[in-house]
Amino acid sequence: MFTRQRAGVSPAAAAAAPAPRGGASTASLVSDLVEIAEYIKRLKAAIAHLRANELRNDRLPMAHDELGSVVTATASATNRIMEVAEGILAIEDDTLAGYRAKVEAEVFQIFEACAFQDITGQRIAKVVDALGQVETRLSHFATVVNVRDGEMDQEEARTRARRETLLLNGPQLKGPETPQDAIDALFS
Amino acid sequence: MALDLGMPILVVDDYQTMVRIIRNLLKQLGFEDVDDASDGTGALAKLKQKKYGLVISDWNMEPMTGYELLRHVRADDALRTTPFIMVTAESKTENVIAAKKAGVNNYTVKPFNAQTLKTKIEAVCGA
Repeated sequence: MFTRQRAGVSPAAAAAAPAPRGGASTASLVSDLVEIAEYIKRLKAAIAHLRANELRNDRLPMAHDELGSVVTATASATNRIMEVAEGILAIEDDTLAGYRAKVEAEVFQIFEACAFQDITGQRIAKVVDALGQVETRLSHFATVVNVRDGEMDQEEARTRARRETLLLNGPQLKGPETPQDAIDALFS
Repeated sequence: MALDLGMPILVVDDYQTMVRIIRNLLKQLGFEDVDDASDGTGALAKLKQKKYGLVISDWNMEPMTGYELLRHVRADDALRTTPFIMVTAESKTENVIAAKKAGVNNYTVKPFNAQTLKTKIEAVCGA
């Protein structure tokens, strides 16, 4: 811990010290140094609380891997469901009972493929929890250290500019912003 | 006028699952001559090699978006009259207006069903 004592100047001595040339008193200088030391102390505590290494080595890679698995599982299940559906469209049989039996067998494969949702739901819940942790720690860090955002790097700025120019807004959170009926009216 | 089920259709989407869905819907509607591309650049190359009766394109793709593809198509004398339907998750009004201004013939927000797509194709291709 950085203190006046460790700096080798007591408050009384600092106050009694003659002002150096240039007008700033030693007391004021010491006060500034103490303030800086306290800020560094708070900063170190905030950095420790951030547990950046754990985020970098554990939580963020986990979130990345889990989301990757979700993408793979959903793509795999979708392909499987579509394969089965295409198979159903192609079913032929001479009898209604035979046709029905074949369709039922395929439909149960669709049920099986839909089981992916349980697993992906659990994976996404883990990611949401990890992101919540990151948000809490960053929020605490930003508050304690009184962080001001720097300028974004060139690559990020380019990406953002492209998104704005080409209107790449992506899907809206609560469904389409413009209802299909309103769009249809525009084209009628 | 009945739909020309023999007309070539180009489906442009970077998600193969969506390409497969649209292909199946078109097949259900009776269209057999369907090609696909995974972004605007690939689509533009195909459009210059073959005369398509309809383009069905997503908006958000890399490196060339569907919006850029639309503008290229409308700026090209040989392609400018090609019917173009945007099928996209982009549902902001500014997107719809921009596409309309750029000359899109119709606009559908994902997800959609076979009947919606059929209605759009009929409206655009004059059935």
